[in-house]
Amino acid sequence: MAHSQGKRRRLVADIVRQGRLQNPPFRLRGGQQLLAALTTASVLMLAVPGAALASTAAGKASKTSSSAHKEKARAKGPAANARSTARAGAAGRSSPVKEAKEARGGRSRKAGTTVAATAATSATAATAARATRKPAPAGTIQEASNAEARLIAVYEMFGRGQSRPALAKARDLVRDYPNFQLAQLVYGDLLAAQLPPSNALPDSASIAKMRGNPAMAELHEESKRRLQALRERPPANTVPSQFLALSTRSRYAIAVDASRSRLYLFENSDKGLKLTADYYISVGKSGTDKVTEGDARTPLGVYYITSSLDPKSLKDFYGAGALPINYPNPYDVRRGKTGGGIWLHGTPPQQFARAPLASDGCVVMANPDLKQLLRKVQIGATPVVTARSLQWISQPQAEKEAQSITSAITGWKDARASGNEAQLKKFYLPDFQRSSKKSNEGISVVDDEVKYAQGKRVQLKDMSYLHWRDGDDTMVVTFGEVFEGEKSGRSRRQYWLRQGTDWKLFHEEILG
Amino acid sequence: MPKSPRPRARFSFSPTVRALLLAAATCGAVLPALAAIEHEEVDKLMQAGKLDEAMVKAEAFLKDKPRDPQMRFLKGVIQLDTGKRNEAIAAFTQLTLDAPELPEPYNNLAVIYASQNQFDKARAALESAIRTNPSYATAQENLGDVYARLASQAYSKALQLDQNNTAVQPKLAVIRTLFTPTPPGAKPTALIAAAPPPAPAPVAKAAPAPAPAPAAPPPPVKVAAAPAPVAAAPKAPEAAPAPAPAPAPAAANTAANAEVESAVRAWASAWASQDMDRYLAAYGSEFTPAGGQSRKNWEEDRRARIVGKSSISVNIENLAIKVDGQNATAKFRQIYRADNLNVSSRKTLEMQRSGNQWHIRKESVGG
Repeated sequence: MAHSQGKRRRLVADIVRQGRLQNPPFRLRGGQQLLAALTTASVLMLAVPGAALASTAAGKASKTSSSAHKEKARAKGPAANARSTARAGAAGRSSPVKEAKEARGGRSRKAGTTVAATAATSATAATAARATRKPAPAGTIQEASNAEARLIAVYEMFGRGQSRPALAKARDLVRDYPNFQLAQLVYGDLLAAQLPPSNALPDSASIAKMRGNPAMAELHEESKRRLQALRERPPANTVPSQFLALSTRSRYAIAVDASRSRLYLFENSDKGLKLTADYYISVGKSGTDKVTEGDARTPLGVYYITSSLDPKSLKDFYGAGALPINYPNPYDVRRGKTGGGIWLHGTPPQQFARAPLASDGCVVMANPDLKQLLRKVQIGATPVVTARSLQWISQPQAEKEAQSITSAITGWKDARASGNEAQLKKFYLPDFQRSSKKSNEGISVVDDEVKYAQGKRVQLKDMSYLHWRDGDDTMVVTFGEVFEGEKSGRSRRQYWLRQGTDWKLFHEEILG
Repeated sequence: MPKSPRPRARFSFSPTVRALLLAAATCGAVLPALAAIEHEEVDKLMQAGKLDEAMVKAEAFLKDKPRDPQMRFLKGVIQLDTGKRNEAIAAFTQLTLDAPELPEPYNNLAVIYASQNQFDKARAALESAIRTNPSYATAQENLGDVYARLASQAYSKALQLDQNNTAVQPKLAVIRTLFTPTPPGAKPTALIAAAPPPAPAPVAKAAPAPAPAPAAPPPPVKVAAAPAPVAAAPKAPEAAPAPAPAPAPAAANTAANAEVESAVRAWASAWASQDMDRYLAAYGSEFTPAGGQSRKNWEEDRRARIVGKSSISVNIENLAIKVDGQNATAKFRQIYRADNLNVSSRKTLEMQRSGNQWHIRKESVGG
């Protein structure tokens, strides 16, 4: 299993590497202006390295082409959805009105306002093709879903001028994944590439019309992002900058890079985090940085998976399952962010994948990809970082950045052990809140902590530091306590906020 | 080129392929040696719409020669014409098994599959046809139609559009008869296109000979040319009006013959593609319309008859050219199809050279 995966990974890596080396990517024989004209209008143009890096017009355009069109999903309405989310509610922080009901306001890819988008894409792609390509960073690890790897193989073949084999592979791909819209588009482009330069075929008009369909821009954007994510790999031996330390209690970690429409899955062991797979994902149709309920944005921050919803209890629209995350987390609440019901979920039967910007805030994955994830995540223990754009840092760098919070925790622990309430109080912000299964109203936290510790020596174990920086500098720290002479103690998740050079606690969850 | 509602796909062929096409198209002027009479009879009955009679004759023939590919093929076409699709599928499928080298049965299978909306099966059949004979123009054109439909379907799926509202069904061209190459040593009955046939069909063993490639002509246009010895193809197969160098006996006249043939085919092509400028330009200033009509009235008459049609195909068969100095006579069988009309007639064009152009001086039916 591990071997075959590695083999596949190498295979994909080879394909993509060859694609990079190959120059020029399209050998246009003399007089084949048809093909030239076609490829500028075709998604295949995006397979050219460089074209993918350059065309931003389509991305902008597709953002504007929102709303107005109802999702075709067979939504039974908010009521049905509220039921399913209510079930999930026990585990996660569920707000009364869930945003997971994308079916209500979501849209299919029939959006129809970006007339210019397609033209823009072609124009930009054409320009990019002429421009010299940026060297892509050396990347080795790749794990794409099978369907995506096959799609990329089609691109590479076409790029090498093997349009016939590419056509055959594309045909196999759409046979196996008929609902993979991007694959259908590529197949259509490859077929169209075989057509003579004539407007006279019975289907020419409808082909031309569909090529001009604004929804094409979304597929082009999907194509671009998939290619980009496969070309520009994270540097070796690096982790997303949020993961300063992760206890091996979390066997996996997830990081979402919205700018690349990519979810990275890491395996965590005593050797650290290792990237094992990455998948194409869709985020909110209005993008990221969720602030208010209904803004159709995907939240940015560090979260945990709070439950796994049985797909049988869900509408078809959510596909193979759903993994709610704890948005809004205490930091979000502190800043007045609203909404909820942010899930990682699958796709409806009629769509293998959705547009890069498609959901009401959820992270949407192809069902085969989600199934991989479902097998691995641990409720409450698998962190999910969602970032606009991930920064990748080395292990020593992560350790260095963890130093200040480590010493803050040590200071907090020592103050508590010494019973020095005044000293301990310095670690808490005035509006500190604690959430626990036990009611703790009216109890001063400092009081409680001192009583709880009773001056005993305590060991902190299974430390995880998740760093989140936007306007503020925050740290989500998870750990367990073991008092001397005892077998176990509290398990805590603390939310720290940096004020000047000091770290202060503003929220704590007693996990058990 | 004026719009034609049933326009054809154009594929850019290399000059070599074009020459082969031309050869394939024109050597049909030579009748096959074996069993030609019966085949022609059945075909004539089919053209006359007497399908039952044709079937009776075909079946009688097949009693004696049950393996005869040409007659089995014709029978399949009759079944297709009489709406017996499944029987036709069985007949053509069996032919592809017994004679996998023949492109025609694959082509007709594709036609049936396409009519049943099974475009991927149609594609596979056409690709087989082209594999056996890459220059098979009808199959190439049909494949163009099928690719276009498949592309359209793929785009619909990409956009998740309702596919029921797609445009009219592409109607693929049925091949009416097996192409039969000239048996070696057979006496050519016409002085045209003497390039040997590319021998795609194993029915009669003809030595495959690469046709000499003439200089590439201008972009290929719709030219009527029959691939078949007798039958009219409903769709004109691809053939460029290339002056084929003809190693014909009458060596001195070869060049002139080729010029005349080229002019005749250009005339037919202009007619079929409803290109009135080119069509009328084929007639010289000395041309006198029959029946004492003035040139102007005749032109208006022709225009009215040609431009109004939704589609026209003009096939030329058994073209025979006689050159005498600045004059030439081209006699041929003209198979004219327009909308529901299907007329096959003998035609004679008297041509006159002016400069290096040949123009029509007189056009007459019969002869």
